[in-house]
Amino acid sequence: MTGLVFALRPVAPVLSLGVLYVFAVLPVAVLFGLAYALPVSVASMLAFNWFFLPPRHTFALRDSENWVALAVYLITASVASELAARGRRRAAEAEQREHEASLLADVAARLLSSGDVQSQLPHIAARAAAALRIERGRIELDSVRRPEPHESAHPSVAGDRHVGTLFLEAGAVPDPGVSRRLLPALASVLAVAHDREQLARKALDAEALRRSDAIKTAILRAVSHDLRSPLTAIRAAGEGLQSTALDLTPEDRRSLLDTIRLEAERLDRLVGKLLDLSRLEAGAAHPLPRLWAVDDLLARALDDLGASGERISVALPPEPPLVRVDADQIERALVNLLENAVKFSPPDELVDVEVEDTGAEIAVRVSDRGPGVSAGDLERIFEPFARAPAGEVRAGSGLGLAIARGFVQGNGGRLSVELRQEGGATFVLALPAARLPTATGVR
Amino acid sequence: MSGTRVLVVDDEPHILRALQTSLRAAGYEVEAAGSAQEALAKAAARPPDAVILDLVLPDGSGTDVCRELRRWSTAPIVVLSVVGDEPEKVAALDAGADDYVTKPFGIDELLARLRAGLRRAVTPTGPILEIGELTLDLEKRALAVSGRSVSLTPTEFELLRFLAQNEGKLLTHPMILRAVWGPAYDRESHYLHVYVSQLRRKIEPDPARPRYLLTEAGAGYRLVVPQQS
Repeated sequence: MTGLVFALRPVAPVLSLGVLYVFAVLPVAVLFGLAYALPVSVASMLAFNWFFLPPRHTFALRDSENWVALAVYLITASVASELAARGRRRAAEAEQREHEASLLADVAARLLSSGDVQSQLPHIAARAAAALRIERGRIELDSVRRPEPHESAHPSVAGDRHVGTLFLEAGAVPDPGVSRRLLPALASVLAVAHDREQLARKALDAEALRRSDAIKTAILRAVSHDLRSPLTAIRAAGEGLQSTALDLTPEDRRSLLDTIRLEAERLDRLVGKLLDLSRLEAGAAHPLPRLWAVDDLLARALDDLGASGERISVALPPEPPLVRVDADQIERALVNLLENAVKFSPPDELVDVEVEDTGAEIAVRVSDRGPGVSAGDLERIFEPFARAPAGEVRAGSGLGLAIARGFVQGNGGRLSVELRQEGGATFVLALPAARLPTATGVR
Repeated sequence: MSGTRVLVVDDEPHILRALQTSLRAAGYEVEAAGSAQEALAKAAARPPDAVILDLVLPDGSGTDVCRELRRWSTAPIVVLSVVGDEPEKVAALDAGADDYVTKPFGIDELLARLRAGLRRAVTPTGPILEIGELTLDLEKRALAVSGRSVSLTPTEFELLRFLAQNEGKLLTHPMILRAVWGPAYDRESHYLHVYVSQLRRKIEPDPARPRYLLTEAGAGYRLVVPQQS
């Protein structure tokens, strides 16, 4: 600047050239503010004085021009720096607001796209803390707890409703402007998302209730028939035996008594199945897993089947295959599968049961020679009240396979059905293989 | 049979009536009680030879009645349980009940359990046990099935010996584990399940359909003389 003034000295009066120093002061004031512009103004005045004002190369101030020059520099510096600072503040504020707006937009988008508000809270809290220039924060919905000693609590209020609390580190002072603007907006967004989630949950509950109601109605309708027919038979046989009007032979009496016994047994089995189903539906069928040999479970199932179990041929592997399951539940599943296989097989055909140890799994394969399953029904037959097509219906509640699958899956296994080439179906009950814990000190 | 007195305890009048009728017809003298208090009072007044006891009573559990009776009586006790009440059934067996039947039960089954309990109360056992086609020589530690010698591991032998010495009686898992493996193992029922499966492969004609070594679901095992089928 000094050089420029020196160069222009021939064409203009030195004093007026002092104005050029303003160009040194101006950018400093605009870029760095008054604090830097003041020393630059003084330095410019001194340089002007030293280099150009007589007596040159001294700091002596003879004339009032010097003071005028200094005043011009200082006024320029302060006005320019104030204007520039205002501009900068506006820009910063605009940036901050844009930042806050984008934060809110991001929070809203996240809350809307994710069904779970709770899982988004840490992220939202981190972003809010960053906007407030605080290191860490956490948001707790519906929380009214007192802050721990290391925290400070900032209630999140939308309108007159308490949405939750923002906990920041104790001693951290959030930017008051930002918290005034950002926190209520954040609270509103959170409130909306929270409400939305609760509504969705209520809708889901209502749907589940409606479904379970529908299932219960279907069960009632289906079983009232199944319950009534044995009851009718028992009542008719009992009244027949009591009646004085009938002339019964000993043979007739025995037959009526047989009816009562058999129908009571059928009723007992049906009630057992309904209990199983209601436990499964209620999610109350918690398995109690223990280590068992599959043969033992099969033996129990065959025993339960009684006489019809004699139509089943069983092939066991040489070593007892072990599984860790709830024995009662898997026994129920096996009974239902075997019952089903016997029911759908022609009376003179055996049902084959094979136990396979594949290393990872123990598979019980129950193969019948019945009508099989049509390809489209491979999954449907495991639904409650799925029965064989009309015309082929044999006594059955339509619950057996659904219960079997429920119990098998509850024990970590799977139950599926395959078609056999030679006719009939093979039900495969696969359970994860278990090993005997290494025996320590056990003979 | 006559003179054998059975105390029947159940709070369902219909079940009580059906049991009284059937037991009298089978030649037993029957006394009935509808509550735990009544049962204990009647048992104390005239000690019964056997007890049939419902697990759920209006004024307490059958398990408590079992425990009380066992303080002074060795009469066999058969408990009546319902499906879904396995823990209570096992508790009753541990409290001294000899056997159980599950409601709804067949009267033949109940009578068989009762007879077995009464028979065991009087029969001593010798060194050679014969159960159906099984011959177990306790002195020589040898087993023969249908006359053919079968080799057993030491644990298999101990297991079979304990079962055979309690022929017909329901043995709970903890009872067997304590007797065969030792008191420290009374919760390790998986060893038992595995050894039972191995033993069945040696003594049963068809291991998938055991006729000697029977599983009582949720309760334990029982070694029986096979029924003629």
